[in-house]
Order: sequence, then structure tokens, then C-alpha cells
Amino acid sequence: MRNIINTAEVSHHTIKLQQLGGKVQVINSTLCYVNFNLEGLELQYVYNVNHKGNYFLERIKPYPLALQEVSDEKDIVKIISEDVDKFRNALKSNHSVSFISMAQQISKIFAVFEDTFLNYNIPFEKIEKMYKKILALEFELDMIREISSEIYEQEDKKD
Amino acid sequence: MELYHIITAIAIFIIIYGVIISEKINRTTIAVFGATMLLLFKIVTQDKAIETIDFNTIGLLVGMMIIVSILRRTGAFEYMAIKAAKAVKGEPWKIIVVFSLFTALASALLDNVTTILLMVPITLVITDTLELDPIPFVLPLVISSNIGGTATLIGDPPNIMIGSAAGLGFIDFIKNLAPIVIIVLAAVIFIFQLMYKKTLKITEDKRAKIMAMDEKLAIKDSKLLKKSLAVLTLTMIGFILHQYLNFESATVALIGGALLLLISGMDSEDILLEIEWPTIFFFMALFVLVGGLEEVGVIDFLAGGLLNLTNGNLFLMVILILWGSAIASAFLDNIPFVATMIPLIKSMAAMSAISVTPLWWALALGACLGGNGTLVGASANVIASGMLNKHGHKLSFVGYLKAGFPIMIVSVVLSTVYLIIFYL
Repeated sequence: MRNIINTAEVSHHTIKLQQLGGKVQVINSTLCYVNFNLEGLELQYVYNVNHKGNYFLERIKPYPLALQEVSDEKDIVKIISEDVDKFRNALKSNHSVSFISMAQQISKIFAVFEDTFLNYNIPFEKIEKMYKKILALEFELDMIREISSEIYEQEDKKD
Repeated sequence: MELYHIITAIAIFIIIYGVIISEKINRTTIAVFGATMLLLFKIVTQDKAIETIDFNTIGLLVGMMIIVSILRRTGAFEYMAIKAAKAVKGEPWKIIVVFSLFTALASALLDNVTTILLMVPITLVITDTLELDPIPFVLPLVISSNIGGTATLIGDPPNIMIGSAAGLGFIDFIKNLAPIVIIVLAAVIFIFQLMYKKTLKITEDKRAKIMAMDEKLAIKDSKLLKKSLAVLTLTMIGFILHQYLNFESATVALIGGALLLLISGMDSEDILLEIEWPTIFFFMALFVLVGGLEEVGVIDFLAGGLLNLTNGNLFLMVILILWGSAIASAFLDNIPFVATMIPLIKSMAAMSAISVTPLWWALALGACLGGNGTLVGASANVIASGMLNKHGHKLSFVGYLKAGFPIMIVSVVLSTVYLIIFYL
């Protein structure tokens, strides 16, 4: 019965979205949640499996990040496995807590950024100023990578 | 058959029935478990259990479910509903009337649950747009759906079971039940008019929003729509002719389903996934459970008892079955009730010289119209209530009862008069 009611709910959304001019395609799929606990740090991923052959993989915790859309289910395990491995490795660092905290802050900033962009009329000079700051942050990150030693050898670099 | 078998079969049946009524465990799970218990205690053999399953009922359900599963992907219902709402210029009461009539007709040709599944979402979109309480719209829809489904062989699962067991075809149902269904529907719309017409007021801007809706956007796949409607029409012609061509109704439905599956180009895995397999397994398990009672002679015993009680008086039997099945179906799942009544009526036919045909119509009218009595009386009511709840509009048991139960009583009174005039 729950499934039937959910199907009807999808129909309700579909009609409304169609009236907004959207093309809606409903695909049966299975949603998978994966949880890891790395010494107290919770890692959570979500992906869906459907017969159309597209798998949308996203990390939810400790901070959200769309990992990628893949077309082979074997890649799902590989991407998650590498990601978990990287976190496990990164946790050895004394700065891991600060890093995660900063990443979470960046996610929050992005949400505020989007809200500001969509809901406010921002003066041009402020946009310029913000853009310069973002470029400066990106430059700073590049500089940090240059002077720091690599602790995780990525798969594409191994080949 | 030993006494131990009789007692065990009755005990299993009562326990399983009790659990189904209590809704503590999923009805399919417990029915399948009960059926397997009959095998474990050697009440029926595996071969006998398979024999008791009415594959005509199962085939008809599966065939229609395939057709419906494809048809509902076309957007035909949404198209019709938006067009109808615009045709009556967004007038709330007129929307209720046209939606109720359309739902009744669709329920007669498809099935109640599917029709409600397709009509309630679009109704909620309309009531959201009009900023009106959806309950005065959804309630008439659900009740019309149960009434419309009563008119045909394929409209409601009890009719499918009755038709298959009694050898009554599509035209038999139309000829005998459609006239009273039309009268009941007219009476019910009149009752709703008294209840709701004056309370539903809208402003011009809301009406304009309805008129701005584009029904063409609702059509998801026009080619598929044409194919689906063509196959549905052929299937209906097949139902009309099946008795003359000596085809079982399930054969017609399965041919229609298979043909549409073939020409639609849809992924059969997707479509078959949408078949309500729990319902199909529930039916199969019920047939086995009731078959167990038949095997040990309980059904014959009850049939003899009913004949004695009524002294073989057809009038009394019709009234008893009509009102008994209506009251039972208002509170219980009408499918297990009808599954039990069918062998009972067959057994009575075998024991006496009376013509039992009026009893089949009494059972169909009672079981289908009785479903309107309470919120739990029919699957369509439960689904509509669940959908309303999801949208923050609680349709309570008592809230439903206030409208549903009097309407059920009026329906059954009208049916009683109809049966007395034309069959007794």
C-alpha cells in the first residue's frame, strides 16, 4: 500500500512539474546508502542503480560532494573504495579535524552564496570583490599543494 | 477426512482471517503463511492447493494490470481531467460532478484502485490551484469509484471472482448491475450536492489559474497513448464478445496485456515490476485457504445451515446476502469475504433446486457497495486517505464514516428495491 501511495505522490509531482513546462522521466531504481565509520568519523555515500545504466554517486557525510555520474557499477565500488582510502589516510594527519571543519564551512558558504545570488540584487563592485577573494583562495590552495608533499598516490598518476 | 483435519482447517482459517482483519501483519504475508499451514497439516495436498486457485481471476487481474500500467504512463487521465476542469470553467461543484462521473466510468472499465491512483493526484493539483480543501473533492471520487466498479465484471475484484466462479460474463454484469449502479450514482451525487455545493466558493484569479492550465502538457507520449487506447478498445470489445466466442475473460485480458506490451516497446521488466504481485499472491493464498474449508466439508455444512435458516426462501437469502455482505465489506476486506461466500453459494445451488443467480448479484452489490461504508472498507478508500494525509489533510475514520456510511445504506436500500422488483 505504501508503494502505491508513493506512486500516486510521484504522479502528483509529475503533473505539477509538467505544468511548469518540465519534461519528467520516471525511472525505477534502487537507492543505496553506504556508511563507514573511520575512527569516529562517519562517511556516508548515496547512489542509485537503474537499468538505464547511469549511477549517480554522491558523498553526503562528513560534507556533501557529488562524486560523479558513472556508467559501470564496478566504478561505484572503485570510487567509494578510493575515497574511503583517502579519508583513512588523511585521518593520520593532525590537521584532519581542521580540514573537515573547513570543508563543512565551504559547503555552508556555498549555500549562502547561492542564496545571496538568487535572492538579492548585489552591487557590481561587491561581486567583483567576492570574485577576487575566491580567486585568491584558489591561488592559495594551489600554492599549498605545491609546497606540500603528496601522501596519496592517485590511481591515474600511478599508471 | 478425520475430525483432526476439520478442526485444524477451521482453526487455521479463523486465525488467519482474524490476523487479516486486525491488520497487524501484512495481509499477503499472513494469507500465504496460512495456505502453507494447510499443506503442512496435510489438510490439502499441493496438487489440490494448486487446483483450488482460480487462474481465471488471476489471469484477468494480471492482464488488466499490464494494460493499466502502460496506459497510466501516457498521461491520458491527467489530460482528460484538466480538459474537464477547464470545460466547466473551474467551477468547484461542477468539477466534482464531472470528475465523479469520469471516475465511475473509468472504474467500471479499469479498476478502482488504479482509477483512484490516477485521479487523486490531478484532483490535488486542482484543489491546490483553487486553494480549496481537497476532501470534498476526493471523497465523492472514492465513493463514485467504488460504485462505478460495481457495474462490470472487471470493475472490482469481487466481481472478477464472482464472474469466474458463476460463469457470468461481461455483458451479464452490464445488463444486471449497470442500471442500479447508474441510479445509485445519481443518488450519491445528489447527496454530495446537498453536502458541499454551497460551501465551495472561489475567486476569479483562482478560476483563471485553472483556465491557464495546459492539458496538452500532460500527454507524456502521444504514440503510446494511441496504442494504449486502441488496445483498451479491442480488449473491451473482447470482453463484450468473450461469451459468444467461448473465451474466458482472463484470455481476453491477457491477450490485451501481451499485445500492448509487444507494440508499446516498453521494457517488460519495468511493466511487470508494477504488477501488484502482493495482491495476486493474496488472491492465490485465499483460494487455497477457502479450498481447505471446502475440502474438509465446512462450506457444505455452512451452506446447509443457511438453507435451513432461510427455509430455502430465495427472498430471505437475497436480503441476507446483500445486507450481510454490505455490512461485512464495510468493515472487512471484501476479497476474503467474497472468496468464502462463493463456494457457499455454489454449495447451496448444488443442495437445492433454487436459481442462485440473484444471489450472485446480491453478493456483488453488497460486497462492492459495502466498501463505501467505512474508511477501511475498500482499498481505494485507504489509498485516497493515505494520499490526503501526505498532503496534510487528514481524512479520519469518523470523518469518512459520517458521509460514507449513510451513502452505503442508501445504496444498499436502492439495491434491495432493485433486486426485489427485478429478481424476486
